[in-house]
Amino acid sequence: MGNFFESLEHVSWVTTIGTTGWLYSGISVIHYFSLFVMIGTIVIVDLRVLGLAAKNQGLAQVAETLFPWTWTALGLALLSGFLMFTTDAGDYFPDTVFRVKMTVIFFALLFTVLVKRNVPRWDKEPMISIGGKLLALASLVFWVGAILAGVEIAAISGLG
Amino acid sequence: MHEFLMSFGKMLESTWWGRGVRMTLWGYPFVQLIHYSGLALWLGTNVALDLRLMGAGKGRQTARELRDALFAWNWIAFCIVVFGGILLLSGTATAYLSNPAFEVKLGVFAPLALIWHIIVQQKARSWGETMDTPLVAKFAGALEMLLWICVVTAAVEIPNY
Repeated sequence: MGNFFESLEHVSWVTTIGTTGWLYSGISVIHYFSLFVMIGTIVIVDLRVLGLAAKNQGLAQVAETLFPWTWTALGLALLSGFLMFTTDAGDYFPDTVFRVKMTVIFFALLFTVLVKRNVPRWDKEPMISIGGKLLALASLVFWVGAILAGVEIAAISGLG
Repeated sequence: MHEFLMSFGKMLESTWWGRGVRMTLWGYPFVQLIHYSGLALWLGTNVALDLRLMGAGKGRQTARELRDALFAWNWIAFCIVVFGGILLLSGTATAYLSNPAFEVKLGVFAPLALIWHIIVQQKARSWGETMDTPLVAKFAGALEMLLWICVVTAAVEIPNY
């Protein structure tokens, strides 16, 4: 399995990205910008569920405005992240901190999707239940965790 | 100017937080977390309004309504960004203050983007009164996004200089 990821690094367009400064930097910029927009829009919806943000707007109103940007940004973040991953795939794949990051992102996305699916129902209720607020809190906490895991990759493993 | 910046930098590096960031294993990632979490909220709320001003996602609310709804957390986020940024800077301030990419980020693009953001956020109240935004609002929103992309680009380049 490890050999597959090692060999991925040597695919022609991957080595091009890995060795062309401006190209790699550009992909980094896309990754950072899109993850900021993605997480920011998710967090605003979570804060609205928690009753801490945009209180003068309906939950569905806030969510329907912001979620399209969330998914667009998610697509860009995944694509740019994958491209950066390929340039050092052999080292990233077995790395514990990287695997933690991927796991945290998986759960963060799960909670985000659960929040999204509940928005139409919660929007009709006069008050959102404790369970709903806990879901939104979980989404928020896991996304902050994803950022932490991301910065720890460089700090602990020296990758990226 | 350079000497002043270097002595300012040394002063920051000698603070207890500067030493903490520099000398502990967890310090630097932790302050990065603060700075990046703030940035997610800051850029997220900025870009959401910019895109709305550019005419995307209309029909659910006016740009003015969106601007008002996001205003508080936009500026709370800014405070978190600046707080985290000062902590990050303090770890190795003299290195940052001698770094051309950092100088461009903080000296050129960030002030420009911030000033433009304040103008756009103010004007959004009149531009965004109805569902359709005027052409100038579309350009203004696009320009703000571009300026913040420039800030992030300069930041990404810091390690390369």
